[in-house]
Amino acid sequence: MHAWLGFAILALVLWGITGVTQKLSTNRISSERSFLWFCWAMVALSGLVLLLVRPHSALGIVVVLCSVAGGALNGLGAWTSFRALESGGKASIVISLISLYPLLTVVLAVLLLHERLTWMQSAGAVTAIAAAILLSLEPNSKVEP
Amino acid sequence: MPPVCSAGHERGPVNATNRWKSTPRWLLWSLLTIVLWGTWGLVSKVASAGVDAYSNQLLYTAGILPLMVFVAWTVHRNKAAEKREHRTAGVFWAFLTGILGGVGNIAFFEALVKGGNASVVAPVTALFPMVTVLLALVVLRERLGRVQWLGLGLAFVAIYLLSA
Repeated sequence: MHAWLGFAILALVLWGITGVTQKLSTNRISSERSFLWFCWAMVALSGLVLLLVRPHSALGIVVVLCSVAGGALNGLGAWTSFRALESGGKASIVISLISLYPLLTVVLAVLLLHERLTWMQSAGAVTAIAAAILLSLEPNSKVEP
Repeated sequence: MPPVCSAGHERGPVNATNRWKSTPRWLLWSLLTIVLWGTWGLVSKVASAGVDAYSNQLLYTAGILPLMVFVAWTVHRNKAAEKREHRTAGVFWAFLTGILGGVGNIAFFEALVKGGNASVVAPVTALFPMVTVLLALVVLRERLGRVQWLGLGLAFVAIYLLSA
């Protein structure tokens, strides 16, 4: 197995567990307070990283900007997804729609980073997005026009 | 009111504005989420060429701080309306979500550092609902619908295809 695949599956498992812990949290407190404590945990984790690992000292400006932008984009995305649900969107439709985000990453990576996919990987990307949409649908939920 | 087509130059922008206003808010927020998260995968791949996963986590947290300040202000403003019961448990689960999410971020970034393409790593990691669904089945004893079983099956097929 490729090393990158092992790490990708680890991320998948950890993020999958957060699907349950997030639900357990928002059943008890508001989504805003839950998000705030999610951020505090990020700060705590970064403190731990600072203590245990010597961070990279010589970084290029583009790399720094992209890393900081990564946090901002991911955080804002979480916030806008909450807003979508709070603005009256049905969870089954909103979450299924949002599950399309890897499609944009694939398109941008192919166009801007000139990444190439084999036909099996292309089929896999499409299957993954279809699977994510199906998994996001609640049992017995009906999509109405 | 349905949008009115007009060949008049003066009325064009007005109709476009009306059409924009008639778009449901939830749809706009959802599309914005796709753009934000879709771009996140791209910028992470660019960053992975020059920074390790741990240093990236520090910078990532710096990026989330302005939003954190805004959300803290929102929480403070709505404090009076919020229920106090079960708050400790809710905060505990939210904090655990952040730790697991953060370690997941480090793993995601390490996958990119180790040479995984953004166009492959993003679809693989986007399959995380399969774990949530499996946990809901095993731990929370929730029942799965046919559609979710199909989704689970497709998720395994997708991982096989993407790792080829």
